[in-house]
Amino acid sequence: MVESAKHISSPVPITWYPTLAVFMLAIGLIVTASFFIYEATSPRKYRSLAKELTTGAVASVFLGFGSLFLLLASGVYV
Amino acid sequence: MTTTTTFRLYLLFSFFVLFAQWSPVLSDLLISKLDRKVDLTSQVVRITATLKLENPGNDQISEVLLPFPDHQAKDLAFLVATTSEGKGKTKTSSSSLPIKVVNPEGLPPSLTWYSVTLLKELGKGQSLTLEVRTAFTHALRPFPEKITQADIQLLVFQESAYYLSPYAVNVQSLSVKLPEPKVESYTKLENTKFSGSEIKYGPYENLPPFSYSPIAVHFVSNKPFAVAQELVREIEISHWGNVQITEHYNLVNAGATSIGEFSRLEYQARPHLRGASSFRHLVAKLPPRAHSIYYRDEIGNISTSNIWGDSSKTLLEIEPRYPMFGGWRTSFTIGYGLPLKDYLFRAEGKRFLNISFGCPMDEVVVDNLVVKVILPEGSKDISVSVPFSVKESRETKFSHLDMIGRPVVALEKTNAVPEHNQYFQVYYRFSNLSLLREPMMLISGFFFLFVACIVYMHADLTISKSSPSYLAKLQWDEVQSALQQIQSIMNHCLGIHDKLEASLRDLSRTGDVQACKAARKSADNMLKELSKDMKPLLSFLQSSPLAVSSYSKVEELVAKEKELQEKLIVKHTTVTDSYEKKSGGRDIENRIAPIQQKITALRQEVDDLLEVIDEI
Repeated sequence: MVESAKHISSPVPITWYPTLAVFMLAIGLIVTASFFIYEATSPRKYRSLAKELTTGAVASVFLGFGSLFLLLASGVYV
Repeated sequence: MTTTTTFRLYLLFSFFVLFAQWSPVLSDLLISKLDRKVDLTSQVVRITATLKLENPGNDQISEVLLPFPDHQAKDLAFLVATTSEGKGKTKTSSSSLPIKVVNPEGLPPSLTWYSVTLLKELGKGQSLTLEVRTAFTHALRPFPEKITQADIQLLVFQESAYYLSPYAVNVQSLSVKLPEPKVESYTKLENTKFSGSEIKYGPYENLPPFSYSPIAVHFVSNKPFAVAQELVREIEISHWGNVQITEHYNLVNAGATSIGEFSRLEYQARPHLRGASSFRHLVAKLPPRAHSIYYRDEIGNISTSNIWGDSSKTLLEIEPRYPMFGGWRTSFTIGYGLPLKDYLFRAEGKRFLNISFGCPMDEVVVDNLVVKVILPEGSKDISVSVPFSVKESRETKFSHLDMIGRPVVALEKTNAVPEHNQYFQVYYRFSNLSLLREPMMLISGFFFLFVACIVYMHADLTISKSSPSYLAKLQWDEVQSALQQIQSIMNHCLGIHDKLEASLRDLSRTGDVQACKAARKSADNMLKELSKDMKPLLSFLQSSPLAVSSYSKVEELVAKEKELQEKLIVKHTTVTDSYEKKSGGRDIENRIAPIQQKITALRQEVDDLLEVIDEI
């Protein structure tokens, strides 16, 4: 059985983790910044909830994956 | 040798002599030749017995019984039997034969019986060579039990010069290999020979079943007696590409106990004389490509470790915080990561981990070995395959980013020796989608943060809705939004102005007067609508007490814009008229030059005012 078995490796090559972490966190932080700029500058009446939610969702996807890859790159294998 | 030990041996001896009467019960198997080699060069006693079996009777024989006295059986850590065929270089060994514990009727209960099942039945007159390898832990007793730093360590080993067997043995011999060519004493029987570091007993011929003759060897051994009373190995699988191994050791030097004072100076000056029985370091043979290796204890990192390796292994030399003398204890943790693809495989829809079971340090005996395999969250249908018997239990462990905990398979083995360092498998099912649990948790965490921000920004947390400051704030918000709208309308107007200018440029290029007029018409309409939109905002600002200062600016802006608009329309009309009258280019330029100057100045002023309003 052992002979016929296939190796299982990680879904993303582990050498990519640091690069992915840097880029995804950078994008995530930029989107977060734009979210907070929007929150702070546009008056309450003219803010669109959909726009806020989509910006937040995009930012959280990038920050989520970015922090996951940061954890993996620093040796905390979740 | 103390008198009690001798007495005990006598008792045993007399006990075994009695066994002779049971012999007819058993099958008439005969051991024609028997060789036993006892290896005492480490703390684990390894005995290899080569038995040449013959079947003189008529019955087919498929089982061979191996008895061990109870005091040996409790130390028995490892037992494997193989058959071998051929001789010399062409010798081939079979895989290990199945062995089970049996309780044959009518045989003395003070023996533990193991039954080896042969792969092929042994017919009349046939013969077979059986090799039985055993390993015993704690079978060597230090004597004296307590020594000082300067003493050498002496050990006692007890065995029978005759092989304890329910079968008659024609010819047999025993050789005992010692770590050093120094013995304090050894039992002398007939045909005993001591040469170099080996003691030979035999050959002895034609002995009846259950022959027993105790021997004791008292010899010098300064080999490390590293015993891990408890070793917990945690093997944590992460499908993101790592197998993390953490080993918690509770180590003791189980040799002769050290008494008297310990002199670090003497030890440092002459470690081989003052501290011969101690050990200073251990070498762990880790798998190749091991990374992130650490060695620490409760206090923190232990810096006295060294690592080197090649493509087939990684060697980690660890040195405890102090030299380990007899009876001294230490506890520490080593950990390392291994690449996932070397140990995790997929077969028949299931995944399995294939990794070695035992302690990576050679010559460390583990009294109680617990191997915990921590599978990723969401693993199902877990099953384990270990080549020897272990106690299995299930647990749950919470680790990074877990919700329901990770399933843990705990395997317990007592008396583990380096021979148990075999590969074992843990099978389980795991969906690749479960891999996304951790990122989804992080993502939802961040998303909740954003949602909380949105809620905070949208919520009106004012307690008193009628307080003047709150009302003022509300009004100010309205003023601000009105200002913003005015700004956007203004920007729109300026955009239309630009369009008009662009239509004039097109006219000078193509000469298409009609298109230019159409552009003018649409611009007029749009400007009209925008000025209509502007009116309510202006009247609101005029009525609002908070907008007094900004209203003057806005008024100015509106006036300037109007002027700009007028000038622009004049310019546009002039140019189109001139084109219709087919005036010369220079003539047109002369006519609009003063208007153009004014337009530029007004545009500048409008822009400045917009900036001022933006700052409010």
